[in-house]
Amino acid sequence: MTQTSRRGLLALGALAALGWATKPQSALGAISVQQTNVETDETLISIFLRGGADGLSLVAPVGDDDYYRQRPTLALGSPQHSRIGSPTIDLNGYFALHPALAVLHPYFQSNQLALIHACGSGDQTRSHFEAMATMERGLYQDERPAGGWLARHLATSPGNSHSPLRAVAFGGLIPETLRGASDATALESLDQVKLLSPFGPSSMGIEHTLQRMYNSQSTEPALAEAGRESLSVLNKLRGIDTDHYKPANGAKYPTDDFGRGLSLVACLMKSGVGLEAACLDHGSYDTHVAQGASTGYLAALLTSLSTSLDAFIKDLGPVRWSKTTIVVLSEFGRRLAENSGAGTDHGRGGVMMVLGGQGIAGGKVHGQWPGLAANSLDGPGDLRVTTDYRNVLAEVLKHKFDNTRTADIFPGLQYQPVGVAI
Amino acid sequence: MKLGRREAIQLGMGAVIGVSMTGCESLEQRFTKPVLPTTPWVPTSMASPEARLLNRIGFGPNPSDLATVRSMGASNYIEQQLNPDGIAEPAILTYRVRSLNDTLSADPGILFDIDDRVLVATLRQATTLRAVYSKKQLFERMVNFWTDHFNIYEGKGEGPQLKVIDDRETIRKHAFGKFRDLLGASARSAAMLGYLDNRINEKRHPNENYAREVMELHTLGVNGGYTQNDVQEVARCLTGWTTQTHWHRAAFSFNPSMHDNGKKTVLGVTIPTGGGISDGEHVLDMLASHPSTAGHISRKLCRFFLGDTSDVLIDRVAAEFRRTDGDIKATLRPILSSPQLMSGPPQFKRPFDYIVSALRAVNADTDGGPGIQTSLEQLGQPLFGWPRPDGFPEKTQPWMGNMLGRWNVALSLASGQISNTHVDLDELVRSGGSSNRSGTEVLSEIILGGDGNSAKSILTAADAMRPVAEQTAILLMSPAFQYR
Repeated sequence: MTQTSRRGLLALGALAALGWATKPQSALGAISVQQTNVETDETLISIFLRGGADGLSLVAPVGDDDYYRQRPTLALGSPQHSRIGSPTIDLNGYFALHPALAVLHPYFQSNQLALIHACGSGDQTRSHFEAMATMERGLYQDERPAGGWLARHLATSPGNSHSPLRAVAFGGLIPETLRGASDATALESLDQVKLLSPFGPSSMGIEHTLQRMYNSQSTEPALAEAGRESLSVLNKLRGIDTDHYKPANGAKYPTDDFGRGLSLVACLMKSGVGLEAACLDHGSYDTHVAQGASTGYLAALLTSLSTSLDAFIKDLGPVRWSKTTIVVLSEFGRRLAENSGAGTDHGRGGVMMVLGGQGIAGGKVHGQWPGLAANSLDGPGDLRVTTDYRNVLAEVLKHKFDNTRTADIFPGLQYQPVGVAI
Repeated sequence: MKLGRREAIQLGMGAVIGVSMTGCESLEQRFTKPVLPTTPWVPTSMASPEARLLNRIGFGPNPSDLATVRSMGASNYIEQQLNPDGIAEPAILTYRVRSLNDTLSADPGILFDIDDRVLVATLRQATTLRAVYSKKQLFERMVNFWTDHFNIYEGKGEGPQLKVIDDRETIRKHAFGKFRDLLGASARSAAMLGYLDNRINEKRHPNENYAREVMELHTLGVNGGYTQNDVQEVARCLTGWTTQTHWHRAAFSFNPSMHDNGKKTVLGVTIPTGGGISDGEHVLDMLASHPSTAGHISRKLCRFFLGDTSDVLIDRVAAEFRRTDGDIKATLRPILSSPQLMSGPPQFKRPFDYIVSALRAVNADTDGGPGIQTSLEQLGQPLFGWPRPDGFPEKTQPWMGNMLGRWNVALSLASGQISNTHVDLDELVRSGGSSNRSGTEVLSEIILGGDGNSAKSILTAADAMRPVAEQTAILLMSPAFQYR
């Protein structure tokens, strides 16, 4: 945690906002000048790989012969099993990183990227929607309705900034992960954060009318909250000119939705608006057909993922990056055996990633590897789950965000250290 | 209409180019404005059951439908909505959809020669126009319901071409028919076969994607009593259900050499060896008639029309579904005759509902084209653009993350700044007015469904002094208008 008090943070945010209001043209120039002065709290970025990412391709068990037996066309190469296309990147002699994730390897080498294999929830339905709901709610199995785990973290977090931009989801919708966080905002892009004034000067006061309508006693509380929240976001971002946002340190984001989303996260972080958590989706990873190996569909997705993350980290710069943690998860991994469409069906255990500028036990593939022999597999032939994904999240929240209220965030979890955060 | 491929393509392009030609109004457009009723349409009482009814079963009130409900009475209107064949469509819809239909009704082979973006834009435009202008409001709501239930993502593969066919041959054809026919059409739809990969499901390595979703989403529901083993067995039953090739790849085909002819067990029932294509039909029969399916569909329908409802009502609807062998219109009757239709809690509008209801409320003259579609995209609901097979969320909470987009739609619409979308508010107020009603009251009543009290609480005396367009924007931005 930083030394900045909550009050100090708010004041800084307000000052920054004031500066932009008077100098709208150079809004982000102002940010980059102030870069080292604007203190923000630790920020958590949660990235959900939608559709069930194939952990066996992200971090390939190239030391396991069963991997090659069950994946005649989809397995990635190793020194023993050569394949056409770019070689994998050796991690520890047994596991290798997908070549499309190569730009993340330096973070692994400098202990800023931790990988957790055979990780997942207890969901046995192998249904996207059940498994996503379970994971986004922070449950092991979908045994009860609940809000999102990130919403509960924010509600119990000591670093509550009360900013309307405390928690942001990129896209048109609020994901289940943030369900119940009344201060969560969905942003498609920052340039949409404005209220049109098509009536010219006579439309003065429409914002006041909105305030009045959405503060009315007769307005349903959830909608009243949403309306007030939107108006505060409007206030907070007034004058920020996102069209002229220039990533720092030569960072180049891919031009896809995900790259744009992460650049907006960076923009908000630099703007000092009190951002504590951001949710982004990536995918679809539902590779039933033509998944590809070192090149192809999945490889293209992973390139988008890794180059965006790399650009984001560079753009933040070392100071801000040291106070940032990224968790990457997916609802399940995929079946060991490939199917007839050169793809893979829904499985169980997958890979989780934790990236951070500081305090991450990176450079290691964590978790207990259950193996790929027929008698070690789960159900129809899936990698077993040996690490409850919630232990990883709980540990990150505990060590990096000073939130020890594990039992409130992950009901029913008997926390067991994984060793990813220190 | 017989068309050469080249002509069809040109027509398709024309439809799209036509909408971007602002200021170049055709004669046809000039004579097909949205019609205002000649008799006063403003509800006589301040709390209007007519507006409520149109909000619940359709996309919200517009002046002409309000007048219709008033003159024929609610129960006759519902009955008419359930038997829409005789309902005449307004000229504006007929003319505007006609040029789009030249593209949308083209032969499958021809569709493959039309640009993806043109096809998606055309389908979105036609869908929006029908929701806004069709007199068959209940039917269009059901099209909306089944489009989500049997979701197809236009962004996968040949989604644009195949969804156009799926829209007309699966969804619109069976939206009011028998559930088993709808399910069967969907199972054989090239769009679904491609989207959920059954096209490549074959005996050596079955692909489970469709087999799982057909049970989880389309029929039984996730807790409907099937297991992972059932998923694998259903996948085996559906091996060989694929599409034809090349020019005919939009057509269903059963390929016996891909089919697993071994014995299977699905939901405890043995399916003997050698069944061929009948294995899949057998599975669809079992799923369509399974009690869990009746429950799952009924629960979704109740939520769609009434919001959260009692299990008692859901059970009654499910019983009707079973009794009538999945007759969709019969299943709707207990929902439409339930007291909750009029008295249940209001439901938060999804973006499509919000925009369509706003266009209807102000009697807008719109082409339903890019101006509207861009707004839908910004609000998170690009039509046919939901990538996951569960359809756009029905829950309220995901849509409440940012109200600014909706407010901007209201501001742009009321100020006439959405392209090819015009509102004549003075005429609207005049047509609905009577000597003792102010413009403010008339607007409040149509936009807020005739609830005079909430109108008073929304527009202060100062607001009532604003120009009519600003008042309209404020009412469309109000909390009350976010609900149906």
